[in-house]
Amino acid sequence: MVNLSGRELSTEIIESCRLGDRDAFRVLYDLYKDRVYSIALYFFHGDPAAAGDVTQQVFLKLMISIGQFRGDAEFSTWLYRLVVNACTDAARRRKVNAVISDRSQMEALAAPGSQEADYERAQMASSVRAAVSALPPKFRIAVLSRYFEDFSYEQMAEALNCSMGTVASRLSRGHKMLAERLRNVIGVRSQ
Amino acid sequence: MMFTRHVSRQLAAHIAGQLTQPKARQVEHHLRHCARCREESAQVSQGIAALTDLPLAEAPEAIWSSIQSALQDDRTRTPRVIRPRWAIAAIAALALMVLASGAYWRVSRPKGTRWEVVWLKGRGAGRIGAGQWIETDATSRARVEVGAIGSVEVAPSTRVRVVTARPDEHRLQLERGEIRARISAPPKLFFVDTASGTAVDLGCEYTLRDDELGSGLLSVTRGWVSFQWKGAESLVPAGASCRTRPRAGLGIPYFDDAPERLKEAIDAFAFDKGGNDALATILSEARKRTLSRFGI
Repeated sequence: MVNLSGRELSTEIIESCRLGDRDAFRVLYDLYKDRVYSIALYFFHGDPAAAGDVTQQVFLKLMISIGQFRGDAEFSTWLYRLVVNACTDAARRRKVNAVISDRSQMEALAAPGSQEADYERAQMASSVRAAVSALPPKFRIAVLSRYFEDFSYEQMAEALNCSMGTVASRLSRGHKMLAERLRNVIGVRSQ
Repeated sequence: MMFTRHVSRQLAAHIAGQLTQPKARQVEHHLRHCARCREESAQVSQGIAALTDLPLAEAPEAIWSSIQSALQDDRTRTPRVIRPRWAIAAIAALALMVLASGAYWRVSRPKGTRWEVVWLKGRGAGRIGAGQWIETDATSRARVEVGAIGSVEVAPSTRVRVVTARPDEHRLQLERGEIRARISAPPKLFFVDTASGTAVDLGCEYTLRDDELGSGLLSVTRGWVSFQWKGAESLVPAGASCRTRPRAGLGIPYFDDAPERLKEAIDAFAFDKGGNDALATILSEARKRTLSRFGI
């Protein structure tokens, strides 16, 4: 699991952002941009334009509304609530809720090397991306948020605006669906 | 024996250690007696494990540039009118969204419908647009700047036409000869049509050669290229090549350092009805990564 949550954002940086400090905002942006972009990218079937739009909207909205952040929730939870809303709103607008999987776009995200191991890793990554993209949106966003941010179930419930029971249920079903879609690939790898 | 309710909904939380101790003990007890939930638990574990193959993607710098542009534009605005706080916030949000969308569009989809052509040998420089041809003789070469997404070198004795020169589609038609493309852009922005298929850039460097009869060779040196013909697709990674034939379309990609016998067998299998003999050679000569191209 990618565990980047250890990089804490200091209250000093948040306070500087609230005062309109651009350098502080760049620090905040650098800390979260790749995770926000990755969630959006895999949520939108590997479409970099859609992921770019969502990332941009999230950080602009963040700048506008950071004054409203009172510290009663963790900053990252608050930020990912913006991400979840931006992804679901954009999906609704784009009407891409139907399950699609663009193999070419997914393949393009692979980073193959010249060695066999790199090649196999790229192939596996491509299969996983396609399987994640094929999940229904509410399961997809739950699985991606959990994986890229390593949130507790309580934080996820806050970010996804649902109960912890619902989070648990969506993650169980989402991961099970992933395993079913990857049955052949996982079978080959474990042999 | 008392049988508790199935625990499907709690499996991910149990695996992640997110359940309270009494709840976790209850789930463990159930799993000991329920084969169905044990199987589901294994599946959930596999699903979680599979995600470790999902790499973190790097956000393109263009996003930050567009945010900055929006902020810059916003800063130059005058004059200030005192409004209620909610109205200021709403207007600012709207303005930023509009400006940022425009800025991001500008940064990520640059303008320009004519491409710069530099003759590396033989002539000077010029610009070329949709519908126009570039033709080199036996001694001349040219370099074409493909919008803002990369460049194409046109080798001697090559004839190539610009089909589309739009920010969202850069398309060439290679009639004969050889081009070398270096593209750094999101996938599916650069295409090259040939007599035996279309090369679709997925962020890469490659050489594409086509003779006058329409037989071609695609060799990829960086990234991936998708070669497409009549609904079929070959994905060619760096270090691999793919032959094409007119009317037969795509060959099967192979790594450039593969044995010659293997390459010949692959071509025979793909184009010359090599059948079982060719397949036997492929299976005996191929390494693991080559076999994976066949789904073996």
